[in-house]
Amino acid sequence: MLKVQDLTGGYSNPPIINNLNAEIQQGEFFAILGPNGSGKTTLFKLVTGQLPFSKGKITLFGKELTSYSKLEKAKKMAVLTQEAQVAFDYTVCEIVSLGRYPHQKGVLKQLSKKDENVIEEVMKLTNISHFKNTPFKMISGGEKQRVLLAKALAQEPEILLLDEPTNHLDIKHTFQMLDLLKERQRQLGLTILAILHDLNVASLYADRIALLHKGSFLEVGDVNTLRKDEQLKKVYEVEVKPGSHPTIPKPQLLMTPSYTAPSHSVSLHHSYRIKQTDEFIHIQFDQPLRTISNGVIGDGIQWVKHFCNFHVSKNYHCHDPQRDVQTWLTTNSISFEQAVGMMTAVMLEDAVIVKEEIEGISMLVIVTAGVGNAVDITNEAALAPIPTIGTINTMLFIDAHFTDGALVNGLMSATEAKVKALHDLEIKDPNTNTIATGTSTDAIVLGLTQQGEKTPYAGSGTVVGKGIGQIVYKATKEAIIKNLQRASRKNK
Amino acid sequence: MQSLFILKFLRNKISWLYLVSGGFLLCTALLGLLISSVHIPIPTILHIIFENTFHLGWVEGIAKNEEMIIWKIRLPRVVLAFCVGASLALAGAAFQGLLRNPLADPYTIGVSSGASLGAVIVLFFQLTMIGLGSFTLPVVAIFGGFISLLIVFGLVRVSSRSLAIETIILAGIIVSAFIGAIVSLIISLSDRDSMTQIIYWLYGSVGMRGWSHVQLIIPFMLVGICILFYHHRELNAFALGEDAADHIGVNVKRGKMLILLGASILTGAAVAVSGSIGFVGLVIPHLVRLVTGPNHRHVLPLSLLVGGAFLILADLVSRTIIAPKELPIGVITALIGAPVFALLLIRERLGRRGT
Repeated sequence: MLKVQDLTGGYSNPPIINNLNAEIQQGEFFAILGPNGSGKTTLFKLVTGQLPFSKGKITLFGKELTSYSKLEKAKKMAVLTQEAQVAFDYTVCEIVSLGRYPHQKGVLKQLSKKDENVIEEVMKLTNISHFKNTPFKMISGGEKQRVLLAKALAQEPEILLLDEPTNHLDIKHTFQMLDLLKERQRQLGLTILAILHDLNVASLYADRIALLHKGSFLEVGDVNTLRKDEQLKKVYEVEVKPGSHPTIPKPQLLMTPSYTAPSHSVSLHHSYRIKQTDEFIHIQFDQPLRTISNGVIGDGIQWVKHFCNFHVSKNYHCHDPQRDVQTWLTTNSISFEQAVGMMTAVMLEDAVIVKEEIEGISMLVIVTAGVGNAVDITNEAALAPIPTIGTINTMLFIDAHFTDGALVNGLMSATEAKVKALHDLEIKDPNTNTIATGTSTDAIVLGLTQQGEKTPYAGSGTVVGKGIGQIVYKATKEAIIKNLQRASRKNK
Repeated sequence: MQSLFILKFLRNKISWLYLVSGGFLLCTALLGLLISSVHIPIPTILHIIFENTFHLGWVEGIAKNEEMIIWKIRLPRVVLAFCVGASLALAGAAFQGLLRNPLADPYTIGVSSGASLGAVIVLFFQLTMIGLGSFTLPVVAIFGGFISLLIVFGLVRVSSRSLAIETIILAGIIVSAFIGAIVSLIISLSDRDSMTQIIYWLYGSVGMRGWSHVQLIIPFMLVGICILFYHHRELNAFALGEDAADHIGVNVKRGKMLILLGASILTGAAVAVSGSIGFVGLVIPHLVRLVTGPNHRHVLPLSLLVGGAFLILADLVSRTIIAPKELPIGVITALIGAPVFALLLIRERLGRRGT
C-alpha cells in the first residue's frame, strides 16, 4: 500500500537517504532498524512529508503522496513520535479529540456524535478513559504515549507511522503499547510502519524488518534476517550472537560488550572445593562454568558456579522436586539461581571422584550410581510403573572451551561411555532381562571453564571426546561396582 | 452515564462563563456611561442609546446637552475601549496559542512597536496624507504594524527555513528593540510640543476619539475576529507542536500565516486608534485560560469579552481616579496587569512544584 521508489533526500550533500526502495503491504507490521545516523528519522520525515525529497516517488494506495491534500493524507496516515511537549493544560480528552481534526466537517467544525464515539472507543482501547479529564502534563510518560497513540488512532488511519514510539518507556509500557498495536493490526488490518531501536523487540512484533545502513536498505525480509550476525555486526559494529526465544519461534540477539573482564587462567584442579556429607555433595567453583545439564534445577545451557547432588530416601516422592532442591540449597546457603541440582537415593559415600589429565586437558568427574532401576531404552516393554531405587548421576568438568554444539557433543560422548560401562558390567533391565542402557532417571551435568581455544566438536573423533569417554567410563564402572557390592553385602 | 453527566456539567460551566463574562461587560459598559462629572440617570442613558440606534426612545424631553454627552462623548469612548480591549486580548490569546508561550503578546511579535513607530512619525513630521485627513495617523500606524510584521517574518525566513516559533519570538524582540530605539531618537529630536504629544500618545488613551475611530477600528476588528475564530482548532492543534499539527492534517504554514495576519490586524488597528496599551493582551487570555481551560474554542470569545470589559473598566478608573485630570489608560493597565501577571507566574510556579 505504501511504496517507496528510488527515494533520495535529506538535507546534506551527499543526501542522507539514497535510492531507497521498499513496499509495505496492507496489514503488516514493518519495522525499520538501524543505528543512529543511518537515516531512520530522515527516512521517516521524508515519508510523513516533513522533509522534501529530491528524487524518487512515494505512493500511498497507488497515488503519489504529494498529490494528497493534508486532510486526505491525515485520514489515511497517522503519525506517532516520541514528543510529549504540550503547551497549556489541555486535558487528555482534548488531546485525543485533536485526532478528529481531519474528519470534522461544516463551518463550525464541532465534534459530531460519530467523532465523540470514536474518541470514546480509542480511549477505552488504550485504557486512558479513567483519566480523560486530567491535564496531559500531569500524567506519566507511559500514559502520555498511550494518549498520543489514542490521538493517532482517533484519526482512523489505514497506516500508522511510528518513530521509536517506545523510546523512553519501561519494559512494561513498551510491551503494553506494542501488544495494543499488534491487536489493532490483527483486528482491523491496520498497517504499521515503525522505526524501532530494540532489535529484540522488533523481532517479537514485526512481520518484516528492513535494515537501514548508510541511507539505504541492506536487507528487507522477515525477522529471521536478524539471524545474520555478520550483517548486524557490520551495521551496528557490535558483537552480536543470534539465539532463539525460548518459547516463541523468533530470533533474539545477545550482544557481547567489547570490554573483557581481566581473567587469569586457573587450572581446573585448583579452582573448586568439594564438600561431601551424607546428605549432599557440593562442588563449588571460583568462576562460573558454562554448563549443559538435565538437573532438577539449572537445566539447559547456563553459567553456573555450584553443583549439588542431594541424597533422598528410597521412598522419596514429591510433586515438586524443583522446590525441594531449591529449599535444600537455600538451607545450605547456596544461591539456587547459580546452581545445578540433582538428587539420588544412592549412598553418597559411594560416590566416585576421578581427577585426570588426558592429553593435557584437565578433567574431573563425580559419579553416583545405582542400577536397581536399570532400563533398556530400546526394549518395547511397558514403562515400569514407579521407578524404584537407582540413578546414575554424572558431573563432568573439563578445562576447555566448548561451543554450544560441542556441549551437546560432549553430552553424547559421556552417555556413550555410560552405556558401555553398563554393557561391560552386564547390568540388566529386570523387566526384559536384556542389557540396560541406563536408569530411568539419570542426570548429567557438563561444566566447561571456557578457557583456551574454542572447540566446536567433542565427539569420539576428538581428543577431548576420547578423554570424556575414558574418564566417564572409568568412574561409572567403579561407581556401579561399589553399588553392587553394597547391595550384595546387604543381601547377605 | 457518568461521563454524560460530566459532559453536561462542563457544558453548563462554559455557558455560565459566557453569561458571567457578558454580564460583566454590560455592567462595566453601563458604569462607564454612568460615572462621570455630569450625572445622568440610567433610564435616560438607555433611552438615548435606543433612540439613536433603533429610534425606539420612550422618554420625552431629553436635554440636548445630555444627549450630546452620552452619544457623542461617553458612548464612543466606551465602545472604543471595548473594541481596543477586545482586539488586544484576542490578539494576545492567538499569539500565545500559536507561539505556545503564555508570555507572548502583541508586543512580543513587534507589531505594536511597528504601529507605534508609524504613529510617532506622523506626529513628528505633522504628516497629512491626501484624502485621509485626520485618519492619516491610524492608517499609517496599521501600515507600520504590517511593515514590522513583514520585517520579523523576513528575518525568520532568512535565518531558519521552517518558520520556527522560537525564531519568531526572537525576531520580534530584535525588531521591537530596534524600533524602540528609533522612537526614542525621534522623541529626543522633537520640540517640546510634539514631544509631549508623542509621549502622551505612547501612553495610550481611548478618550476624545469619537465615532470616527470606532468606525475605523470596526472593519479591521471584524476581519481579525473572523480569521481567528475560524482557526480555533488549528490553535489547539499547535499545542502539540507544529510537526504534530501537520500529522493530523493541519496546513501548518497557511494556518500560521493567517493567524499571525489576523492577530496583527487586530493589534495594528488597536494601537492605531488608542496608542500603545500594554498587558491587556498578556494578562486577559492567561486569566481566561485559568478558568476555562486551554481550548481555544472558548478562550478566544471569552478573551474578547473579558478584554473589552477590562479596558472599559481601566478607562473608567483612568479618568475618575484623579478627576478632573486623566491618567493615561496604559498606566492603569500596567499598574493592574503587571502585579496580576506576577501573581499568576508565582502561582503557577508553586502549583508546579506541588505536583
